[in-house]
Amino acid sequence: MRVIAITGKGGTGKTAIAAMLIRSLVSKKMTILAVDADPDTNLPEALGDTVEETVGDQREFMLRERDNLPPDVDKERMLESKIYSILAERHGYDLLVMGRPDGPGCYCYTNNLLRGIMDRIVKNYDLTIIDTAAGLEHLSRRIIRDVDELIVVTDGSKRGLQTAQRIRELVDEIGLNISHMHVILNKVTPQNRDRLIELVKQLELDLVGMVPYDEDLASLDLEGISLMELPENSLAQVEIDKIIMKLGM
Amino acid sequence: MADEYPFEISPMFEGERVRKDDLYIEFAGPKSKGFELVRVAEENEIEDDGFTLIGPDISEMEEGSLYPLGMIYRISGALVEPDLEAIVERRNHDFQNYIQGMMHLNQRYDVWLRISKDMIANGLESLEPIAKATMMLFKNELSFIEKIEAVYITDLEKVEEELTKAMEIYAARDERTKNLHDEDVDNFYGCTLCQSFAPTSVCVITPDRIALCGAINWFDGRAAAKVDPEGPQFAIEKGECLDVIGGEYTGVNEVALKMSGGEYNKIKLHSFFEYPHTSCGCFEVVGFFMPEVDGIGWVDRDYTGLAPNGLAFSTMAGQTGGGKQVMGFLGVGINYFRSPKFIQADGGWNRTVWMPKDLKNKVLSDIPSSIADKVATQDDVDDLDKLKQFLIDKEHPVVEKWPSKEEEEKSKPTEAKADEVGQVAPGQGVFAPTMPLDIPSMIGGGGEGIKVTLKNAKITIDKIIITNKK
Repeated sequence: MRVIAITGKGGTGKTAIAAMLIRSLVSKKMTILAVDADPDTNLPEALGDTVEETVGDQREFMLRERDNLPPDVDKERMLESKIYSILAERHGYDLLVMGRPDGPGCYCYTNNLLRGIMDRIVKNYDLTIIDTAAGLEHLSRRIIRDVDELIVVTDGSKRGLQTAQRIRELVDEIGLNISHMHVILNKVTPQNRDRLIELVKQLELDLVGMVPYDEDLASLDLEGISLMELPENSLAQVEIDKIIMKLGM
Repeated sequence: MADEYPFEISPMFEGERVRKDDLYIEFAGPKSKGFELVRVAEENEIEDDGFTLIGPDISEMEEGSLYPLGMIYRISGALVEPDLEAIVERRNHDFQNYIQGMMHLNQRYDVWLRISKDMIANGLESLEPIAKATMMLFKNELSFIEKIEAVYITDLEKVEEELTKAMEIYAARDERTKNLHDEDVDNFYGCTLCQSFAPTSVCVITPDRIALCGAINWFDGRAAAKVDPEGPQFAIEKGECLDVIGGEYTGVNEVALKMSGGEYNKIKLHSFFEYPHTSCGCFEVVGFFMPEVDGIGWVDRDYTGLAPNGLAFSTMAGQTGGGKQVMGFLGVGINYFRSPKFIQADGGWNRTVWMPKDLKNKVLSDIPSSIADKVATQDDVDDLDKLKQFLIDKEHPVVEKWPSKEEEEKSKPTEAKADEVGQVAPGQGVFAPTMPLDIPSMIGGGGEGIKVTLKNAKITIDKIIITNKK
């Protein structure tokens, strides 16, 4: 029932990190709910998966059809069933794509239904991993309410680290009740390593792991091949396994 | 009791999801067919606790297979009435989810069930103990049920046959629910979802008045309040009816006072001018009074053009929203146009003079045919002068109430200038700034002048602009 959100500036490789975490955890026989909450959906691709419909689509359906439904239909039950029907069920993990954010009009009621539904769904998994954009849009709407930890992925750029700092401020601003915020440095090379550690220290961020730049990973990424194909002993995956140990997942 | 069934039964298993990895058999759902139906029967027609299965049973089904499923319960009892069928039927979902290892989703012809591998490992071989446990729960929890029997169907042809019949029953029920009105119920429902940004907003949901956002109808309020009475939707005992036409109830007034933090103590549910419902900011449509024609126009969120008063939805919404009773403006949900009580205190459709074309088409079948072609759209008119002419040409009922030429001379109405929209200062909103102060004389058309009584008024005005009529 632990809920971890993974975030970071675009291009830092947060989705790749999320996919590698999921892969490792599934092999440890944990049941995982993977949630792609990035409007630029690419977690399914990284997992070698395709998802056709999103939570956003179901929400739009409810808004569009509300006056045509039987007047006494239980809308929470209906939406719950619709969410279950788009939950991609795989061996060891289920995948839910949040899709497009709210449009104009009032989403209060539907989102409130969705909160209750997500509360119940999340309880069915050992671990929920949310891949979310740096703006934390879906978290700020509290669609998934009880996020325990936040992992910020950053690459070898000062901007990535500044994003991490901004996210920390944002968490306070929107009042997310997160117990820990960890940082994973991604695409670390022998050249940028020391400088990055120094920057992390200056920003007083809690560094939980350094994923080295990995040729295997880069070539899979380049060809758009699923990261599930990554050799188990590849440099990046080995570091991910260490992070899992460290976080006690 | 637990020994009777090869599974545990408890409310704590609600929300338990049977994942594909744990799935033994799936019933109905998006990839198959199914339904659940409760019917009232005569006492002597029911074999109490009886179970009939038409089609194969679990023991004959292969692991991982998908079957259709129809579940029909027949109930009787001295207090059992056909109107209870839908309420009882809803509980099948709760009770079947009390069963460990079983997942029941959705309702009516959309049911979707899963049986876990664990249930089979624990000795489940038949649908019978599931039906029996469900019936036991029905009788325990709904004491008015004296006798109950169940027929489950897993044979596709028979499911289809019975589903066709069930669809007619559901349709007849929907017809009945559509005919439910404010006077037929004891409770209305309140909603606080908008109070985060409109703290004095009092949203009252009744059978004849959908929430302003258009998302919550009376049945939604009832369902939510039942599950979580402390949640955002809660029951309002309607109390005594003080004004039948306007829709004023003592219970609503009490809640209004509480919810608005003392700001409002009177709300008339079907009134536009006098103590109107507050407007949150989520409303789908905003209604606006046009004193020049003594009529009301409505503009919806999707219409980006200007209304005949020269204002856009966004401008009027900004002015109306915030959880206030704003004289001359009213936020509503689209479905309110379908209500037989639609602003009945102020003439209803006979006062409606303008709507965007798309909105009008959406609710066209609910506009009385005598008035439908008299309501102008943006295709007919784009300003007040053209609207006036349109209403005269079409003999719209508002025209009769217009003051005659001499009366007009006497009362000398000032004209509202649409381009001088100000903001209502917080805590007020008695008169919207676009409204001329002599509205009542325009409404009545009598031109006797007005009496303004302000009680406990605190008024701050940043700027008043008075311009000569050109």
